[in-house]
Amino acid sequence: MWPELRRARAGLVLVGLAAAVIFAFPIWFMVTSAFKAETEIQAIPIHWWPHEFQGLARFQEAADFAPLWRYLFNSTLYSVVHVVVTVFFGALAGFGFAKYRFPGRTVLFFLVISTLMIPFQVLVVPLFIEVKAFGWENSYPGLVIPGMMNALGVFMMRQYIADLPDELLEAGRIDGAGEFQMFLGIVLPLMWPPLISLAIIEFIASWGNFLWPLVIVQDRNLNVLAVGLTNYSQPYQHAPMWGAAMAASTIATIPIAALFIFFQRYFINGLTAGALKG
Amino acid sequence: MFVAPVVAFFAVFNLFPVVFGFAISLTDYDLLDPPNFVGLDNFRNLLDDDLFVTAFWNTLVFVAGTTFPVWVLSLLAALLFNQVFHGRQVFKTLFFLPVLPPVVVVAVVWRMLLHPNGIMTWLAGAFRGVTEIQWLTSTVLAPLAMITVHDWAVIPFFMLIWLAGLAGVPRELREAAQLDGASPLRTFWHIDLPMLRSTAVLVAALSTINAFQTFALQYVLSTGPGGPADSTLVLGLLVLRYGFQYFRMGDASAVSVVMFVIILAVTAIQLWFNRRVA
Repeated sequence: MWPELRRARAGLVLVGLAAAVIFAFPIWFMVTSAFKAETEIQAIPIHWWPHEFQGLARFQEAADFAPLWRYLFNSTLYSVVHVVVTVFFGALAGFGFAKYRFPGRTVLFFLVISTLMIPFQVLVVPLFIEVKAFGWENSYPGLVIPGMMNALGVFMMRQYIADLPDELLEAGRIDGAGEFQMFLGIVLPLMWPPLISLAIIEFIASWGNFLWPLVIVQDRNLNVLAVGLTNYSQPYQHAPMWGAAMAASTIATIPIAALFIFFQRYFINGLTAGALKG
Repeated sequence: MFVAPVVAFFAVFNLFPVVFGFAISLTDYDLLDPPNFVGLDNFRNLLDDDLFVTAFWNTLVFVAGTTFPVWVLSLLAALLFNQVFHGRQVFKTLFFLPVLPPVVVVAVVWRMLLHPNGIMTWLAGAFRGVTEIQWLTSTVLAPLAMITVHDWAVIPFFMLIWLAGLAGVPRELREAAQLDGASPLRTFWHIDLPMLRSTAVLVAALSTINAFQTFALQYVLSTGPGGPADSTLVLGLLVLRYGFQYFRMGDASAVSVVMFVIILAVTAIQLWFNRRVA
């Protein structure tokens, strides 16, 4: 029995190793290629690590060829606004839907949640026409505002806040707190774990957004990283710059990798909760 | 009221555009001249429209090529990493890496790896003396490449969902079955799988819906985008091509309405399955 079991365990280690190598390889190749000389990247046989380590030269090259730091700034602005708005207003509306009775509550909640089922491709054409009519085409408001709230936030926060005992709020009212003060002072401080998970899901979603930034902005200085990246892999009348592309791709991956490393538990919970929304 | 800003936001940027989109789909509109009401003509024309039929077919192939393999392989991965063996935690983390980069980064990295004389050609063909493979410029290989890259990118995410489901299966049940002498396979078939039913439906539904909406991968990874010879043109790309390349907003909206209906149908099927469980 025992040797057999040990052999089975060894088999698992091998299969696990193979799966890990296959799935991690492209990421490894991306990061190492950001530090390789251009000719090394497509070298055959493969260079598993940079033979002539380039330091930050590929990053510099990327920044010289296109406004990489502007892309990074725009992506950061875009994602930070989306996260702050989704988290704050999601919690606020979740609080309203969970703890107050008012006419139309069910209908309004259903309307808000139903937006989760709308694929963005359905919105892109009419939303483009609408935002153009606002005069927001090719501008920061047009880029950032239309998608800045995610109904998932309302849905998630309503569920968590509904579980808060009403006595807590009654106690607050007796102490003479206003309703909004209670939200800030009592509800929000108790909601940190789901708020962090929500912030992480929304960051991942907005950081990778591609379709809306692609259609609403033409000025390259307003592009986000996800759109700007294609300037390196398929530049206009220019050979692909793989080193610069990998450097910029690495930059685009770092914020999400950092969230994964530092908030692993919230990261996993957030992804799972986001999937279970339906 | 606390819900007012949120309701107003979704009314302006989600619900209105959906209704507006339906309205546009009943017109011919090129953004310059006022829209011209044509009733259901756009939908009728789609049936004879080669581009639409091609895109519809390509999308179905993409959905079929992703949903089933993703379902099976992510389940196998979850079962693997649910076992106890040396290095499990490290391998699992490495396996999880493809979840981190945004879709565009995935597409750019694979565009580099799938260079005709690139690393994947070397890995796939070196030992047979093959030095060039037209991964992205062959009408047979390009759609397969889209499917494979998509699978690579999403399998680790769905593994996470399966692992969350497996964590909900009581350990005692599994141990009792093993004490009764059931083989691991039978334990899985009779104990785990029935308890994972809602997870199974969720993974199938989510991956189908995701695959129907695919767009950024084809936009960046395929030559064209959508090429070669429209072999990777999917519905998501067609909306963009009609809307923002040909400025046929009515046709673009009609395509997106079709996508919306399909996705609602998938959601309805998912709900129906779950109701039968409950």
